[in-house]
Amino acid sequence: MAGGMDLGGGGKGGKKPLDASINLVPFIDLMAVTIVFLIMSAVWTQLGRLQVSQSGQSSAEEQPPQDQKQPVNLLITEKELKLSVGGTPFDTIPVTRDEKGRVDLSKLTGYLAQIKKEQPDQSAITLQTEDAVLYDDLVRIIDNCIGSQFPSVSVSPAST
Amino acid sequence: MAIQAPGKRFGKRLEHSKVFGHGLHGKKNMNSDLNVTPLVDMFVILVLFLVANFSNGEVLMMTKDINLPEAANTDELVLAPVVMVSKTEVLISGALVGRVDDLTREEYLNIPALEEKLRDMKKQFEDLHNAAQDTGAFKGDVNIQADKSAQFRIIKRVMFSCASAGYGNISFATMASSVKKEGGESASRD
Repeated sequence: MAGGMDLGGGGKGGKKPLDASINLVPFIDLMAVTIVFLIMSAVWTQLGRLQVSQSGQSSAEEQPPQDQKQPVNLLITEKELKLSVGGTPFDTIPVTRDEKGRVDLSKLTGYLAQIKKEQPDQSAITLQTEDAVLYDDLVRIIDNCIGSQFPSVSVSPAST
Repeated sequence: MAIQAPGKRFGKRLEHSKVFGHGLHGKKNMNSDLNVTPLVDMFVILVLFLVANFSNGEVLMMTKDINLPEAANTDELVLAPVVMVSKTEVLISGALVGRVDDLTREEYLNIPALEEKLRDMKKQFEDLHNAAQDTGAFKGDVNIQADKSAQFRIIKRVMFSCASAGYGNISFATMASSVKKEGGESASRD
């Protein structure tokens, strides 16, 4: 008897094997139900956050800079983007969209890279946004600014 | 004569043949046990994987009404009060604080109901931490979970209300897209 153990048989002479197989079927059922439940309740989307500050809220943060950093402003309207550094404007960027309706930001990225080259220490940008601008466009622009090494993004309403 | 199962029956001469006589002599037991151990192993690994991956805390409640915009250069979401801005209404912690149509018509800078609710939440937080003699300072974190089609005129009022109530650390909740944008590498943030 391979693997079996002799119990002595209780005097009846028979040897009972101790190789009892566990019934795995209920366990498999439980596992199958758990997996289905987990898959159904799982959130497959990966979430993140973009931190912004509201420009003009705390005057303590708006102290004049000690170094010679020129403030970077981006005016966002429905039809165009106007970037300026220390009051000097760049060429206006007309808002064009791709087939998915997303704003093309390649020109803005180029300008931001140029500013970063001239002012490597500058990390702040203020986005002056008009009321009619869509949240999706604003988030894409903020994302683009952070990606262009301007992590301190302030958002303020555009003065009309 | 005994009843026989239907099928080919070869003559006596071929009964012992290795080719034609196969199966006719000697009966095999049809009750064979299926080895389920690898299946159980696989299930256990799958369950552990699913539990480990999807139990990282629900910060946002995902609803059909809100399509979050995508962004690549994102940080990890923190547990904080969530202001939800859908196409039709503004909610905080599931409670309605305004309708988008009404808010669009009004000319105020803030949303009074939202501001009041946030002030209450801040007071609750401070009372709770004072009672527990917890030194953890109030950071003023708030998450804005807005639909991508929301207009900035609503978002600015939400932001203003949050800032007025003391929640100055505003974060926009987004879907993390895997594709890095034109800007290149993600900027390091502190």
